Amino acid sequence: MGKLSRRTLALFLAVLCMAVVAACGDDDDDGGGGGGGGGGEAKTGGSITISQTSQPDFLDPALMYTVNAIEPSWLVYTPLLTYPRTGTDRDSELIPGLAEEMPTISQDALTYELTLRKGMKYSDGSPVKASDFEHSIKRVLNMESGGSAFFLGIEGAQDYVDAGKPEGDISGIETNDQSGKITINLTEPDGSFSHVLSMWFAAPVPSDTPFRNMTETPPPGVGPYMFTESVPNRQFVMEKNPNFPDLGEDIPPGNVDKITTLIIKNAQRQAQDVISGELDYMQDPPPADIKPEVKAEYSDRYEEVTTASTYYIFMNQRVPPFDKPEVREAVNYGIDKPALARLFAGELAPGCSFLPPGVPGFDEAMDIEECPWGNPNEPPDLERARQMIEEAGEAGTQLTVYGNNDDPTDKVTAAIADQLNKMGFEAEPKILDGGVYFQTIGSAKERAQIGFANWFQDFPHPKNFMFLVDGASIQPTLNQNFGNVDDPEITKGIAELNQEPELTDEVAERWRELNVQLVEEAHIVPYGHRKLATFLSERMDFENCRRFHPVYNNDYSSWCLK
Amino acid sequence: MATEPVIEQTGLQGPAAWEEQAEREQVHGLGPWRLGLRRLRRNKVALAFGFLFVLLVAACLAAPLWADHVAKTGPDTNHLSDTIQVDGETKNVVELDGVPIGPQYFKADGRFFLGADRNGRDIMVRLLYGGRNSLLIGVSAALITTILSIVLGLLAGYFRGGADIVIRALLDIIWSFPVIILGVALGVALALGGLSIGPITIEGDSLLITIGIIGLVYTPYMSRPIRGQVLALREKEFVESARAQGAGPVRIMFTEVLPNLASTLLVFFTLLIANAVLLEAALSFLGAGVRPPTPSWGTMIDEGVDRIATAPHLTIVPGLMLVLTVLSLNVFGDGVRDALDPRAKVRIEH
Amino acid sequence: MGRFVVRRLIQMLLVMFAVSVLTFLIFNVIPNGDPEVRMAGRQANESTIAAIREEWGFDENLVVQYVTTMKKVFTGDLQSYYTQLPVGEEILKGLPRTISLAVGAALLWMFVAICLGLYSAVKAGRFADRFLTIIALVGISMPVFWVGALMSYYLGFKLGWFPNGGYVELTEDPIDWAYHLILPWTALAILFIGFYSRVLRSNVLDTINEDYVRTARAKGLGERQILIRHVLRNSMIPIVTLWGLDFGAVVGGGAILTETVFDLQGVGQYAADAVGQLDVPPVLATTIFLAFFVTLMNAVVDILYAYLDPRIRLQ
Repeated sequence: MGKLSRRTLALFLAVLCMAVVAACGDDDDDGGGGGGGGGGEAKTGGSITISQTSQPDFLDPALMYTVNAIEPSWLVYTPLLTYPRTGTDRDSELIPGLAEEMPTISQDALTYELTLRKGMKYSDGSPVKASDFEHSIKRVLNMESGGSAFFLGIEGAQDYVDAGKPEGDISGIETNDQSGKITINLTEPDGSFSHVLSMWFAAPVPSDTPFRNMTETPPPGVGPYMFTESVPNRQFVMEKNPNFPDLGEDIPPGNVDKITTLIIKNAQRQAQDVISGELDYMQDPPPADIKPEVKAEYSDRYEEVTTASTYYIFMNQRVPPFDKPEVREAVNYGIDKPALARLFAGELAPGCSFLPPGVPGFDEAMDIEECPWGNPNEPPDLERARQMIEEAGEAGTQLTVYGNNDDPTDKVTAAIADQLNKMGFEAEPKILDGGVYFQTIGSAKERAQIGFANWFQDFPHPKNFMFLVDGASIQPTLNQNFGNVDDPEITKGIAELNQEPELTDEVAERWRELNVQLVEEAHIVPYGHRKLATFLSERMDFENCRRFHPVYNNDYSSWCLK
Repeated sequence: MATEPVIEQTGLQGPAAWEEQAEREQVHGLGPWRLGLRRLRRNKVALAFGFLFVLLVAACLAAPLWADHVAKTGPDTNHLSDTIQVDGETKNVVELDGVPIGPQYFKADGRFFLGADRNGRDIMVRLLYGGRNSLLIGVSAALITTILSIVLGLLAGYFRGGADIVIRALLDIIWSFPVIILGVALGVALALGGLSIGPITIEGDSLLITIGIIGLVYTPYMSRPIRGQVLALREKEFVESARAQGAGPVRIMFTEVLPNLASTLLVFFTLLIANAVLLEAALSFLGAGVRPPTPSWGTMIDEGVDRIATAPHLTIVPGLMLVLTVLSLNVFGDGVRDALDPRAKVRIEH
Repeated sequence: MGRFVVRRLIQMLLVMFAVSVLTFLIFNVIPNGDPEVRMAGRQANESTIAAIREEWGFDENLVVQYVTTMKKVFTGDLQSYYTQLPVGEEILKGLPRTISLAVGAALLWMFVAICLGLYSAVKAGRFADRFLTIIALVGISMPVFWVGALMSYYLGFKLGWFPNGGYVELTEDPIDWAYHLILPWTALAILFIGFYSRVLRSNVLDTINEDYVRTARAKGLGERQILIRHVLRNSMIPIVTLWGLDFGAVVGGGAILTETVFDLQGVGQYAADAVGQLDVPPVLATTIFLAFFVTLMNAVVDILYAYLDPRIRLQ
């Protein structure tokens, strides 16, 4: 006590202070970028190598439509509107991207006005002009991209397509390069149009970008990264974009300097390489038999996240026996959802809701606990299903269960056929090649009775899913409403809600009611939502530098090295 | 595959050979067939392998027996949510994370002897049924090739002239395609919509398509030597005498020429089955042969290769069954060839 | 000789023409259904299908269709509907890899087959001969993709003695190039070693009994000298011609399987991947080119044989 203790106390406090200061100042951010990481401060710089199992369909924003292409590319091409990248719930809500503010929507919901931010440059240094936006839309329409359907609601778009001239004009889009103003007129109200503007299809590219597939030399964009090399079927390289403007906290620049993506067909090899550190990330999940090892030994760098997707079985209501509602109900009772989940190596979260988690209108209670057909995590009520089918007089009815030869779809289809057999049918799987599957079941001529289907969200708006069960979207070929679902109430409900320009809570609630009605009336058999994985190498900072985006999956701009 | 070896009687020809043959027959009083059988019986190795082949065929034909009485399940029945009793313990056939159970041998009373696949199907059952399919395809395809070759070989070799030129040209064209490439091309082309010949439509995923393709692809390899032999035979005296007696060409072909082709046909048929089974495996492995979920040794090897790191037996066992089948056919076929004409040389003709 | 060569080349061109017609029939005429839907594959929508129909002339008569198809194949105007990449370029990119595989395997199998075949013939009838015959038969009974997969797994992955698949450019690192190809060469060669050693064996056995060999022996030449100078050389003629034919078959057939198993990304694997996707343009192009290659090799071999054996020319 006394003098000694006071000095000791002072010393002790001093040491304590230093320790605190040292701990606080440790993960100092030496780069320029903003925070917005997944927790702590991120280290910038470095170069990583990642892999994909197959070549992205296109590295051209006007044409691409697969996860392989979109996961890297959304960071290269920022559209007028986009989503925050914060790692919070806000990430599903639209914010301005290259536009200054959210669009001004007219009273009749037919006109959208936006203003381009000033002084932006593409990754090659050329200035971004308002008219570039119209050029991008023209490329989508002229090259008959898979995304053209989203833009045909723009006034003059159909005429542009019919005229067939790339240099033609789309009357519904007016731009002013001086003021940066962009005005878009629609032919009828479309509640999801703001979301459509957030798709990579609508991202501006320079007006001199030719009207052909630019995969080998991707056009420049405005984003944290840019493509610097593309050798199809071998690799492509992304590097930090030196001309990336400051778009605010919610749209951070990347941490890592260079990302090389290799195309490696063998998933086993990819997994081994991520384990050993030769690769830093594999886009597909590790193959089923290596998974248990990964989960057990590398749990500190492996995680599974449920995506906004729904896997379901379609039942064609225009073809017996699925014209009988009681038969459809019976199938819903009898399908063994946990069994199907096993075929996805655990990467499927069993669920009953047609709208998946992450999309407004998702009903959490109905998805699991209050599922009208029984808890999807429990074994099904096979007895009841069998009984109902017998009473309907359909025991022994022949069924052809359609599926394609992607993995694990072929196995899922075989399992579904087996389950239908257990319910009393005589079911056989019919496996078609992945390349022609959706056209075949989408053709009315084929009269496909029942089969595999799934949908991953394009954007978090219920319309994106509900068009699959909309009576108004039925067409004789390339039909996406495989079950020909046409319940008058539901169809009317969808039509009404589509016209609501903004996705308010009240509108979302009405979508939820439609979702519940859809499931309760057994129009389809949803059985789960897909999970995707994040598996990183040792040298990546898994703790602090990891964001899984609800719309775009793994956010490469969040990654950093330890 | 490579060009098929041709069998030709290159010992003494002409009257001398017939003299010699007649002498032999006088001495032993046995026909050439009985003689061949005797020689074959002395070739223990060939016999052993022939027996092995019969065993393999029997095992595969007995697939339903195994399925019903031992495994108690069919080749297509999924057991994703089921459990079995192993040494008193209850185990999942397929775990929640998708990993199927490994080989149980007799620990579960013979069920899942070699384990389960990702759908929870019994691999042993699928192996046996797959063998049935592979053998069915092999034998049927060999039959088609043989019949086509006989017809084409007889027409070309006997009538010569125009028919010969046309048939040879046709066969040359088919022969220009490497076997696998032609099989793959046809497989891909026919996989989607199937085939319609007039009123008959064959579905794209039917085994008949695979059988037809394999049968067609091997036809040139057999037609050539058959034609060659027919060409030689038609100059023989007994044919001339039959013609002199007023027999029509068809009759001559059936009563004089065809029986003399019998030994060639037999040897070829055996070797054809072997090659057809191998080709089916290759096509199924590439995805242009048997379509899932129908099992065959080729599709099972394909599925096994995916899991080779954790369950190599899924690749090794179907492959081994395939190799043993083909090997036994090859050795036995070799033995038959030796037995029917020990002086026959393997000569390459093209 | 000159006349023979000309005749043979004309024959070759005729066969090539017929091959192209047959390939055309296989892909566009024989199967059920619309060829434009088949070609569109994953990219099918109304307008793509209509575009394909127009581009390929499927609404016109067969002759026009045939000419259009051939023009597209040979001018390199062929595009894969799945990868959207030009087929011609992809084939050219993969060609060096396929050739590396084929030539290496061919040299390997020739060397080993000659040694084994010769040894077998010399020890004819004895245990060594019978044993080698069985080994040869085992060789031709094994599916090349199965052998390849097992080798790749056990020797490459598990034991790590060899790389686990993949290809290194010859220009980048010749030693690594060869190192990566050792397993594929072996897998491919096993099949042919079995076959060729037996052929060589029987040819050698025949030649050994020929008159000129007896003469050489009578002259007092040593067994070894006889073997190599007379017997081997004369047994080789049919071997050489066979080799030429099979090289074509390997490039066509064996490569497609071996490349897939070892992930070599050659023309064979390109074709195999297209098969899996039901992508018609690449399969069409590779089929025609491979068949042409085989036809060419057949003609070359025939001409070579005629040069070596004058009797053939007179047929």
